Amino acid sequence: MLSLLVFAPLIGSLVLVLMPKDDKPLLRRTALAFSLVPLAVVLVLWTRFDTTVQGMQFVERVPWIPSVGIQYFLGVDGISFPMLIVTALVTTLAILVSFSIEERVKDFMALMLLLETGMLGVFVSLDYFLFYIFWEVVLVPMYFIIGIWGGPRREYAAIKFFIYTLLGSVVMLVGILALYFQSGLGTFDMLEIAEKARLAPTAQYWIFLLLFFGFAVKVPVFPFHTWLPDAHVEAPTGGSMLLAGVLLKMGTYGFYRISYPTLPDAARAFAIVMGVLGVINIIYGALVAMAQKDLKKMVAYSSISHMGFVLLGLAAMTPMSMAGGLFVMISHGLISPMMFFYAGTVLYERTHTRMLDEMNALFTKMPIAATLMAFASFANLGLPGLSGFAGEFFTFVGTFPVLPALVYIGVLGMVLTAAYHLWMMQRILMGDASVHAAGHADAPAAHGAPSPSSHAAHAEAPALRLPDLRLREALVSAPLMALIVLFGVAPSVLLRLFNPSIQALLNRLGGL
Amino acid sequence: MTDWMMVLPQLLLTAGGLAVIGVDLAAKRQELSALTAGLTLAVAAAAVGAAARRAGEAWQSMLVVDGFSTFFSMLFLVTGALVVLFSLPYVRKKEIHAGEFYSLLVFVVLGMTMMASSRDLLVIWLGLELLSIGSYVLAGMLKDDPRSLEASLKYFLIGAMTSAVLLFGLSLLYGVSGATHLEAIRRAVAVGGPWKSVALVGMWFLAVGFGFKVAAVPFHMWAPDVYHGAPTPVAALLIAGSEAAAFSALIRVFNEAFAPLAADWRAVFTVLAVATMTYGNAVALVQTSAKRMMAYSAIAQAGYVLVGMAVGTPEAVSAMLYYLLAYAFMVLGTFAVIAWLSLSRPDEMLDDFQGLGRRVPWVAALTVLLMLSFIGIPPTAGFAGKFYLIKSAVSAGMVWLAVVMVVNSAISAGYYYGIVRRMYLEGDAVRERTAMQQAAPSAASSMPRPMQLALVISAAATVLLLLFPQPILDWLGQAQHVLAMLP
Repeated sequence: MLSLLVFAPLIGSLVLVLMPKDDKPLLRRTALAFSLVPLAVVLVLWTRFDTTVQGMQFVERVPWIPSVGIQYFLGVDGISFPMLIVTALVTTLAILVSFSIEERVKDFMALMLLLETGMLGVFVSLDYFLFYIFWEVVLVPMYFIIGIWGGPRREYAAIKFFIYTLLGSVVMLVGILALYFQSGLGTFDMLEIAEKARLAPTAQYWIFLLLFFGFAVKVPVFPFHTWLPDAHVEAPTGGSMLLAGVLLKMGTYGFYRISYPTLPDAARAFAIVMGVLGVINIIYGALVAMAQKDLKKMVAYSSISHMGFVLLGLAAMTPMSMAGGLFVMISHGLISPMMFFYAGTVLYERTHTRMLDEMNALFTKMPIAATLMAFASFANLGLPGLSGFAGEFFTFVGTFPVLPALVYIGVLGMVLTAAYHLWMMQRILMGDASVHAAGHADAPAAHGAPSPSSHAAHAEAPALRLPDLRLREALVSAPLMALIVLFGVAPSVLLRLFNPSIQALLNRLGGL
Repeated sequence: MTDWMMVLPQLLLTAGGLAVIGVDLAAKRQELSALTAGLTLAVAAAAVGAAARRAGEAWQSMLVVDGFSTFFSMLFLVTGALVVLFSLPYVRKKEIHAGEFYSLLVFVVLGMTMMASSRDLLVIWLGLELLSIGSYVLAGMLKDDPRSLEASLKYFLIGAMTSAVLLFGLSLLYGVSGATHLEAIRRAVAVGGPWKSVALVGMWFLAVGFGFKVAAVPFHMWAPDVYHGAPTPVAALLIAGSEAAAFSALIRVFNEAFAPLAADWRAVFTVLAVATMTYGNAVALVQTSAKRMMAYSAIAQAGYVLVGMAVGTPEAVSAMLYYLLAYAFMVLGTFAVIAWLSLSRPDEMLDDFQGLGRRVPWVAALTVLLMLSFIGIPPTAGFAGKFYLIKSAVSAGMVWLAVVMVVNSAISAGYYYGIVRRMYLEGDAVRERTAMQQAAPSAASSMPRPMQLALVISAAATVLLLLFPQPILDWLGQAQHVLAMLP
């Protein structure tokens, strides 16, 4: 089942390559169809997922390079399975969003599917060699997606993304090899190494640092984050959605799956560092987000801020904080794609700008789309009842007994987050529609009659109405919103999935 | 009789090389010369396979057949065959005399197999000379191109000096041990005593000589000019074949004869490895000519292989062999593309790759795969090769060296991706149009079949070596046991 899940998109990618490149609608529909396979598989697995089991489920294991101890080994538990849900869903939606791409449709769709194979593979691999292959496979399509279909500075952003993450991951590779030799087990089996390796604390510290570098670049942890705003801003919307929704989680997932269970002593020793870095991410990300004029850049920095919560949750190592961290990963995996979708596509297609100063009064110009944008923003700032709040709440509550000082500072980040979201909404959604926004005068998307402007000075009046939400855009938004509300109102749906695995992880960490 | 069976591949190659000349004289058809050369290599490969079953030594181990020699002979023959394959359109277009070209190519491959199949320094040196003299001529085959003549002359002068250096080292070792056989030298070196310092000097001369041949920094200065000026298929042969041949001799000589001095030479090769890869990568970053970039990249890649020497464990040796094999395919595939591009644009600039992603998508896609392999990104053999090398370094406790190597990989992404960038990202309308105009009207638009085939084989091998490495690793395991004399 898991092999089908992982390789269905790859097959789709190959099928697309063989198809003629002129029939764009057919190419798009084929890509969408192939991306539905993993989604269907995930849903089937969800019904069969046993939430009482601590260990791996749906395991597939075949020897691959026996002389080195490498296997083809797949499996999921409560930590990885939710990531599959997010990955499968967001990829499908990202492909749907990318129906608007007109250039080199075939290449784009093939790369999106290849990317999906890489991402799913990362979350199901239980062998380090396999894990690393999928980890690196993700790099290549994303480089092209940013580099070919991105914004004006795409080449710079793409190569920066590529070299940063490549450097991070090759250092991680050295860490993996060190782990392999230090464990002395002659296997790349993640579970076996985590279980049986009795590593000296010093060895653990070094390996933890090597792995940390790889994961931290992906998360991204301050100060390794500088590639992210560039990549996000330049990437096409579908790419941004996957980058924010899934790729960043590969880093934090690495902590959950590898660093913590395998290097418990180091994890305890570095807890305070992780916590402090988490808080820096939260506050720094929020402050920089607040200063942005570009909506997409603001959302990018807000991602950095939100990933800080995951680090904080990891640092505290209580059942609730760990669950909170995972919860934030899932929730941000749903909310940030929606934010990027609105910032990069829905609003941009109407207003032809991403500058906050150049949009205004969208509530009156396109009420439905603006309302959904507000929904996403509220989810992102952590409004109770939506998934963002649940994750942050669990993280803070779980962290408070252990690291209260960090929580005090972290909460400040929530205030900042609320502040810049509200400010953003006030600037772009509200205001007087008849007042010109700077530089907006020649918005080509303007529809309808010119407004009876009260400002005589303005010869051309701004448009009062913009086309509202389209069906396809509603289709993209609906599943994300449904899950955001579901996980916000009934967090136990997710917690039930996490808990046994988190318990197992905490047992390894020394039973808190 | 068995002696003759063991030397059969070499005999076949000699006969084949002469046959190419005969065919050329009888029928002035380039295809026939190439075909004869290709057949010779194929038959020789079969003979190598047959000889491998009766492993052993012949003629006082002037010749030896073991896992190590079989592995390298196969590598050279495959390299030679792929070069024959993609050189045909090039030879025709550049009006190179096919008879000379293909017969020399066969003799060069013969020299390579001799280097890998002997445990006697004199025979190794003879093989090297045979390889080198053929290469000097091959490098100058573009008679109207001053760069080619310069390459030939430079290669010849440096080569002559290298020979002298090697010969001097060899004579010192002979003086110490009274023999040229590796086993005898090892015994003499192991004893120590007053002669040890002479043996050490001899060893350093050999290290320098082989250092020149593998283009290790600081003995690399000839390589960019030679690889740049030589005809493109010859450059591929030199990078993929000659370097591997030099490595085969280097590995065997140092791991067998100088095993007792391992501590000394490991440290030196560590320095060489770090200097070579770092320098190669740094300079490759700023190149504008495709062949020159590949030349510096070859220097950097030699540095990666030298990591295996620095580590110096049996495991490292098999990692080096795997890497050399994977690297040969990457180089041949890439040079097939460069040779094709140079049919219409003779300068072989990196900018020739511009817009390839649009014009010939499948060639561009396979080239991306090869570039990923050079950087060491899965799913490619280049990744597996680096993985094994890094693994051997970490296993020997040289984590810092592994880190230097991976940082270098990340740097190399800068220039290998330069090709990818040109193929895909700079395809915007204006530049695309100018590139199209510069291109010869039709010649460049389709890749000749032999080049297509060479590219596809190389790319497929690059992926298959990763997906199914176990048979190769088992084979390398045999090759490496031969050398398991290390302390």
